[in-house]
Amino acid sequence: MATTDRRVREAFIELTDTLVRDFDIIDFLERLATRCTELLDVTACGVLLADHHGALTLVAASTEAARRLELAQVQNAEGPCMDAFHSGIPVQSGNLEQAGPRWPAFTAAARAAGFTAVQALPMRLREEGLGALNLLNAAPGPLDSDTVALGQALADAATIGIVHQRTVARQEMISEQMQAALTSRIVIEQAKGFLAERLGLGVDDAFTALRQYARDHNRRLTEVAAEVVAGGLNIGPIGDAGPGPARREEPW
Amino acid sequence: MDQAGSARVWAAIGASAHRDGSPVSLRHAIIASAELLAAAGAGLSVAHGGEPREPLLASGPVAEDLAELQFTLGEGPSVDATTRRSPVLVPDLAGASAHSRWPLFAPAATDAGVRAMFAFPVTAGAALVGVLDVYRAEPGSLGPQELADALVLADAVLVLALDERGGIASDLDNLLDIAVSSRRAPVHQATGMVAAQLGVPMTDALAALRAYAYTEGRRLSDVAADVLARKVRLSPSSPSGPCTTERDDSGSPGNQEE
Repeated sequence: MATTDRRVREAFIELTDTLVRDFDIIDFLERLATRCTELLDVTACGVLLADHHGALTLVAASTEAARRLELAQVQNAEGPCMDAFHSGIPVQSGNLEQAGPRWPAFTAAARAAGFTAVQALPMRLREEGLGALNLLNAAPGPLDSDTVALGQALADAATIGIVHQRTVARQEMISEQMQAALTSRIVIEQAKGFLAERLGLGVDDAFTALRQYARDHNRRLTEVAAEVVAGGLNIGPIGDAGPGPARREEPW
Repeated sequence: MDQAGSARVWAAIGASAHRDGSPVSLRHAIIASAELLAAAGAGLSVAHGGEPREPLLASGPVAEDLAELQFTLGEGPSVDATTRRSPVLVPDLAGASAHSRWPLFAPAATDAGVRAMFAFPVTAGAALVGVLDVYRAEPGSLGPQELADALVLADAVLVLALDERGGIASDLDNLLDIAVSSRRAPVHQATGMVAAQLGVPMTDALAALRAYAYTEGRRLSDVAADVLARKVRLSPSSPSGPCTTERDDSGSPGNQEE
């Protein structure tokens, strides 16, 4: 029991530890599926995650058979994961042979893959549905309530981990965009001043020279300005191809 | 989350936009900030390199001066709000603690008629976007509701700064054009000229300009205009010491003209 407790604890830590540099969502979902299979003592586990359009398209699983079954759910747009994702509540069938016409395509695919019982658990944080987890058993019979509760807790931990990771990634993007928006504008102004001084021109004429250079060399203005500002590019007056008073050699 | 406070703040921003007859924008958030916090004015600066670098919006000339003053001096409540990423509340700029904390900025702000100032970082989680600041002509603290509103206002600024996909909203993009590429362009252009004159990187050139403006007791934008007009030219002196200047003597001989 103590060993199981420790493994459960470790799984929770693993599933919330998403702020790593090389985070990979598929890799993360595969680990979730593997941990669930081990800790909940089920035959296999599959995960479906929604993409940024809200469609369940990301698939991970503990075995190849489970992966094929999850892919079949996506393709047929039918199955317990789909229902759990859309309703936000757990969905189960202890015996797919008696499941009736609920999920005809899924049932056929599951039985062909050797699964008889399924338990789908929603991955949800407050109002936001992220996906669903599918616990698959070869033997018939519903999972006991403790197993379902632990499965839901693991799904919840993984959900928080994913939301946290996405939030941080978004913040980094905002920060980078802000800095880029500012820097690109500032360097153009600085480059105008720098060239005006070097060429003995007014800033407007310096800008014309800068723009002309960028156009002649088929390069972006911001890029050229950044090189001028860094002292690594030497631009002559308009119509003058010769070198000005450069401090460094040109890179080409 | 204070639902009522949030509704009050967005209603004020909406009302400001309505009076303007234009869609809700960052400018309306700045106007609403001044109104809700019973302030004489408000301003928004964009952070860059860990300091409130580009004044983006100001409700009036005093708010603009406060931003430029802090940028020139490199100190002040908005600077601290940026570096500490937490609100900086200064109920009395003429008080002893404000003076010891910002020995250059506090007296200058008081001279400009500003007695209380409150600066709030605008953050998206760990990412710092800018600083929202409001000032009052009279000393006094923000009330609990005003403080709560100020935090909602800082969030509202972020919401308006970003589009629905988390990118930079076109409103912010336009403001950056107006602020960085137009209103403040002379400062950046002068920085480029000084870098060429001194043969130093841009950051050092900007530091030299700021130091010059400070020692001359002049506005950075005025000094920048003189550099661009080639009336002021910075030249290197000792490697670590301040820059000496060569001045065009066609103007008045002293430096009292400001």
